[in-house]
Amino acid sequence: MKFLGVIIVCLTGGLLLYGTTDFPDWGDPSSPASTHLSDYYIEKTIEDTKVPNIVTSVLADYRGFDTMFETAVIFTAGLACFILLRDFRGKKERFYRHKPTGVVLHVKDGKKTLTVGKEFEHMDKDWVPSDLIIKTVCRILIPFIQIYAMYVVAHGDFSPGGGFQGGVIFGSSLILLAISYDLKTLVNRIKEKVLGIFAALGVLIFVGIAAICMPMGGNFLDYTALAPLVWDPHHVRALGMLGVEIGVGFAVMAVMAIIYINIVSEGRHDEGL
Amino acid sequence: MDNYPVLIVVAPLLAALFSGLAVWIEERLSYPIALTGLAISVFSAFNVLLQVITSGPIQYRMAGWAPPMGIEYRIDLLNAMVLLLVSSIGFLNLVASYKSVKQEIYDRAPSFYIVYLLFMTGLLGVTATGDLFNLYVLIEITSLTSYAMVALGDRDRGPLASLNYVFIGVIGASFYLLGVGYLYMQTGSLNMADVAHILQSHQESSIVLTAFILCIIGLWIKMAFFPMHVWLPNAYSYSPVAFARVVAPLMTKVMVYVMIRLMITVFGLDYIFKSPFLADAVVWLASIAIIFGAVMALAQKNLKKMLAYIIVCEIGYMVGGAWMGNQLGMTGAILHILNDALMTFAMFLAVGNIVYKLKDVELFNLTGLFGKMPWTMAGFVLAAFSIIGVPPTCGFFSKWYLILGAFEKGAYHFAAALVISSLICAVLFFRVFEICFFPPISEDSGHKKSHSPVVMAEAPVSMLIVSGLVSLSLIVVGLYSGTIVNTIIIPFLK
Repeated sequence: MKFLGVIIVCLTGGLLLYGTTDFPDWGDPSSPASTHLSDYYIEKTIEDTKVPNIVTSVLADYRGFDTMFETAVIFTAGLACFILLRDFRGKKERFYRHKPTGVVLHVKDGKKTLTVGKEFEHMDKDWVPSDLIIKTVCRILIPFIQIYAMYVVAHGDFSPGGGFQGGVIFGSSLILLAISYDLKTLVNRIKEKVLGIFAALGVLIFVGIAAICMPMGGNFLDYTALAPLVWDPHHVRALGMLGVEIGVGFAVMAVMAIIYINIVSEGRHDEGL
Repeated sequence: MDNYPVLIVVAPLLAALFSGLAVWIEERLSYPIALTGLAISVFSAFNVLLQVITSGPIQYRMAGWAPPMGIEYRIDLLNAMVLLLVSSIGFLNLVASYKSVKQEIYDRAPSFYIVYLLFMTGLLGVTATGDLFNLYVLIEITSLTSYAMVALGDRDRGPLASLNYVFIGVIGASFYLLGVGYLYMQTGSLNMADVAHILQSHQESSIVLTAFILCIIGLWIKMAFFPMHVWLPNAYSYSPVAFARVVAPLMTKVMVYVMIRLMITVFGLDYIFKSPFLADAVVWLASIAIIFGAVMALAQKNLKKMLAYIIVCEIGYMVGGAWMGNQLGMTGAILHILNDALMTFAMFLAVGNIVYKLKDVELFNLTGLFGKMPWTMAGFVLAAFSIIGVPPTCGFFSKWYLILGAFEKGAYHFAAALVISSLICAVLFFRVFEICFFPPISEDSGHKKSHSPVVMAEAPVSMLIVSGLVSLSLIVVGLYSGTIVNTIIIPFLK
């Protein structure tokens, strides 16, 4: 079997090497890839879309249809994690700490319901004493990370950035919260329901903006059809792209958190890392 | 309305997102939303097919950009037929699935519908698009959803089957993407028609040949063509029935469609059949695939596994027909996409009904089924006859074209493989009939063997109606094969 694998690898490598014989030179400005369509995008983007960032205009307008499905792929990934990992059964054993004294209650029977007062806190099995420095630094950092994420989303039209990057940055700020405090802090702050709704809503914003163009008299995704709806019809394509990017940002942010929470807690949403 | 082409794909996507919201608000809404989305899709596909037959291919520009710059949907007779096929099978299966999903995946049924809709979106998008990269993105959606679904099936073996599927599936998709990259290097374009036009002047380039081989191998992995089929039997037999019923007839068939689309529209048949060696090798491989699939099916003790190996065998028919290099073979291959999708669907519907009642489909457990579930078994027999290739059913006609094509080319080994595999299928199914015909022998009767009374216990009406409808369509499609070939396939190939 291993021998067969070596043969297949060699054949594939040989094929790839054979393919290189006709490659255009490295960085050749007259190669088909840099002449056929690139010229059009470089020359016409501003005129067509009023967006100075060519990458964004190709991503969200010329080939926006691909990006829409990429967002759907991300949504699918989050959904797959949820559907496969989510485990609604409770944990077998639980631990509570009495805050004033530090005495720990160990509940061995997971089915038994136990009402504890406010003086007790539900804690992880492998409980680590909280580190004041880490907590404080992260508490200061997180809001700035989130503001930066929003900046990246909003500024995608003009500079490098956009929904995917911004969404990932925002999502990582949530994960940082979960790591520096504990998973329960994150889950209590942002409910699973909210994350689920945001994931679907984000993609829905994208597809919705694209679909509204149809009854408005344009083709699917043709932002110009939205001109009567916006305050600045001259920049309607840029505004359409901004709306779409915001949708992407929502979806990516929520899916990052969903994937993290489900994998780390093995779908139980109680404790992890 | 001019937006039908995009509605076919976007309606299920929108429905998926709305049920994604509904899951958190009112769970019961997600099924009706899913049903509506797919109904719109079927309606649009039907309209598009009518429009294409009467007034020629439709081009739909996304965002209004002209083709090489933007993405376009280009729907001709072949797409339109496959689109209608895919959307109606998706819709009918959803109708039949309500009860079986409730039984099998009771705790996450609403999420099941979302994944299901995304899967349908992927398949429909792959079929409708006229852009090479857009096709890749949608293949990704289709694969991702099927990995999730397979893992959701059998609690013990589903995840492992899914993991194998993930590894092999990702390699397949990467091969295709690499091929598209090579094509882009040579042409600078991703639009199929544009690429085809530019390729006219690069017939000798080694980049194009590499791109072609990479794309085709990627698709073969995705469609489970013989040496790359190992993921299929486990993945299909351990997934939930409601999903197996739709993935088995559609996934591989849509990939065959993509292969034919690349061969005809992008690279051009002249380019592919320039050197006879490649085509001959593929036809030989297809013949081996057919024999291998049939023999492996004979060796199985589980009905689902057996059908999965029959799919491997049927893929051999279609690939062989498409690579025959003549019109008859290609006609047979395209007609077989339609027929095989329908008969595999009919087969899996019957199996789904049996699973609903019996829980497992080991062959020795099927005794007395004709008495217990007469309607289901009627559908099963029709589907089996079609797979064997008994004349009034549709399976016969595509096999006929394939054999004619093989004779025209002189590929007698392919014709022989086809006939032998049909005979093996006959043996296979009559063995199942025999087991199902006799009621179980009761244990407690001592030396005096008597048959225990058989009580009729049929599957729910919704499942039976769909099963009956699809089984009857096998005969109808069979009788109208001539019309389908003359109005859709021949004009497309001209």
